[in-house]
Amino acid sequence: MPEPRTLDLQNLPDADVVLLAQRGREDAFRELVRRYERPIFSLIYRMVRDRETSEDLAQDTFIKVLNHIDRYSPEFRLSSWLFKIANNVAIDYLRKRQISTISIDGSPHAASAAEVEATSFDVRAPQENALEELEARELGGAIERAIAALRPEYRSCIMLRHVEGRSYEEIAATLDLPLGTVKTYIHRARHQLREALGGERE
Amino acid sequence: MFPTPRLPACPNARIPAKRHETLTGTCPYDPPEAIVDHRHLTPQEFDLLVDGEEGFGMAPLAGHIEECVTCRTELEAQQRLVGALDKMPHFTPSPLFAYRVMRQVQVFEPWHVTAVNSIQRFVPRSRPARVLAAGVAGIVATTLTLGTIWLASRLDAVAFLVTLAAERMRALGSQAVSGFVSSALGQNGLAVSSDTRIALAATGFLAAVAISAFGLRAIAAASRRRRM
Repeated sequence: MPEPRTLDLQNLPDADVVLLAQRGREDAFRELVRRYERPIFSLIYRMVRDRETSEDLAQDTFIKVLNHIDRYSPEFRLSSWLFKIANNVAIDYLRKRQISTISIDGSPHAASAAEVEATSFDVRAPQENALEELEARELGGAIERAIAALRPEYRSCIMLRHVEGRSYEEIAATLDLPLGTVKTYIHRARHQLREALGGERE
Repeated sequence: MFPTPRLPACPNARIPAKRHETLTGTCPYDPPEAIVDHRHLTPQEFDLLVDGEEGFGMAPLAGHIEECVTCRTELEAQQRLVGALDKMPHFTPSPLFAYRVMRQVQVFEPWHVTAVNSIQRFVPRSRPARVLAAGVAGIVATTLTLGTIWLASRLDAVAFLVTLAAERMRALGSQAVSGFVSSALGQNGLAVSSDTRIALAATGFLAAVAISAFGLRAIAAASRRRRM
């Protein structure tokens, strides 16, 4: 039987929507864009920190995935494929444009300990205190600034872990990284965020 | 005395230091109540607690957190950070984002889906009509099957009739092509095309072009209808 035209796509799992897209249903493509436009845009936006560029890169991500939807293998999660492409697109952009993301660990391109030292900075204020109560809005802003200062690899791991709620294994598969590396990145990122937020609160 | 001697003893632990269950195994001399780890937790152990890991090896960590103020304070600080990260919202792209994406997405309906859908359009929707159509289809299929069996039992007669029909068709086709060629190219063209092989090749080529054109057009039309 042909699938009904009035099928409620919003209640279908990703795999079924993809199947309909593979059969040429345009509304299935629209549904996939509707489901993932915000997560994909958010990931890229937090990576490149420019709304217009982020929209362009998110658009590229969707076009790459949807124009090759026939190659999708249902044994993997569609979202993992999308996040993988989005992360690659953002990293490529950052590399091409040589955007100098500020790392409190020093430049990721630093070749020696001296260069690391020269390009790093300490965000901890001398009189750091332990006050934890901040308005949610301010804390949100502070977190965004602290995330912006992370290395791109740390940033994508933190986003996938905390904003998208992915497991370490899924992040490793999505970003093509060893599991141990993902755990290390997230641990370091959290550590740097705590230091940076300590500085913000001063 | 301790399983991880490089780590300092926890100064805030209320239970005095002694042999106890460790992360890597259970000391055979441990008293059963000694499940608390009397040292500060490692960063990796904090990560396990912050990530809400459960299962083997977590009880001593949780027990230590209960006893050690320093580690509990550190864990609470990490949990606050993770809680704040978990609450970070998604950003929304501009309202035209989906439109711009869909404008560049090539929606293509595979040929087999088009073919199946084209056939399914002829299937009646109501149950009685479907039953009737199935009955008619069954009668037709039975008739054709019996006819095929009958013809198979008389292969020599079938071969004769097929040859006769083919000869007749070839003569008709040849006559039509000759008429077309002589009117289009004159007598010289007719002389060249009188070669049977050239005539057959030309006819086959034209037929293939016509079938391809009609087929592609039908598929494109079906895809357009599907998209609307």
